[in-house]
Amino acid sequence: MKLEITTSGQFKIVKVDGRIDTTRAVEFESSVVNLIDQDCNNLIINCLGLNYISSSGLRVFLVLQKRLAGQQGVFRLCCLKPEIQEIFDISGFSTIFQIFPTEEAALAGEK
Amino acid sequence: MNTHDRKQLILGNRVEELTKMETFLEELGTDWNLPMPLVLNLNLALEEAITNIMFYGYDDEESHTILIEFSRTDNQLTIHIIDDGHEYDPTARPDPDITLAAEDRPIGGLGIFLIKKVMDQVDYERKENKNYLKLNKRIEK
Repeated sequence: MKLEITTSGQFKIVKVDGRIDTTRAVEFESSVVNLIDQDCNNLIINCLGLNYISSSGLRVFLVLQKRLAGQQGVFRLCCLKPEIQEIFDISGFSTIFQIFPTEEAALAGEK
Repeated sequence: MNTHDRKQLILGNRVEELTKMETFLEELGTDWNLPMPLVLNLNLALEEAITNIMFYGYDDEESHTILIEFSRTDNQLTIHIIDDGHEYDPTARPDPDITLAAEDRPIGGLGIFLIKKVMDQVDYERKENKNYLKLNKRIEK
C-alpha cells in the first residue's frame, strides 16, 4: 500500500494505491488520523489505485467518517473501481459515504 | 478430478501469514486460469474467515495451524478451512443491519457477512474437535 497526500484548496487528498487489508489497515488508519490531527477537517480519499479492501479496511473508513462528522468536517471518496464499489454496495457503505466518480466532482461536492 | 485440481495451503495462526496466502491465491488464479474478480472475492472470503480464527479462535497462546484445501471442477470451486480452535459456527451469526446511518453503524462485525455475500454457499461442521468451514463458488467464464 502506498499513500500520496496533496492539498487542493481546503481539502487534503489522500491517494491510496494497493490493498487495504488486515495487515495494512493499521498503517492506513494511523497515517490518515495523523493527517486529521494536523488540523485537516476536509478530506478526500482517492481510491483509483485501490484494488482490494477487506472488512479491516472498511472499518477504517467508518472510523474516519465518524471522526470527521464529529468535528463538522467533510469526508468524501472518489474513483472507486467496480470491484471495490461492489464491496461498498454489499456492506451498505455506498449510502453511508459521499462517493464521487472523479476527484474534481469530489472537490466540488457535485455528483 | 486429478491432482492438478487440488491444492492446499497451511498457515500458522499469525497475521503475517496472510501475505503468504495473498501470494498463494495469485498463483492459484494463474494456474487455474480463474477470472480476476473471482480471485479477489476468494481472497476476501478467506481473509475474513482466517483472521476470525486467528483473532478469536484460540483459548491459549500456543502456535496452531490452519489448513486450507482448494478443489475445483469445470465450473465449481470448493474450499475447506480446517482449524483446531474452539467450536465456532460463523454461519449462525446474525447478519448486521446494513441500512443503519454511519453514526449508528457499529465498528466491525462485517467480516462473516462479506464471506456469505461473495461466496455462493457457506457450510459449517464440527468434527473431531475441529472446525470445518466449507465455501463454494461457481466459476463463471
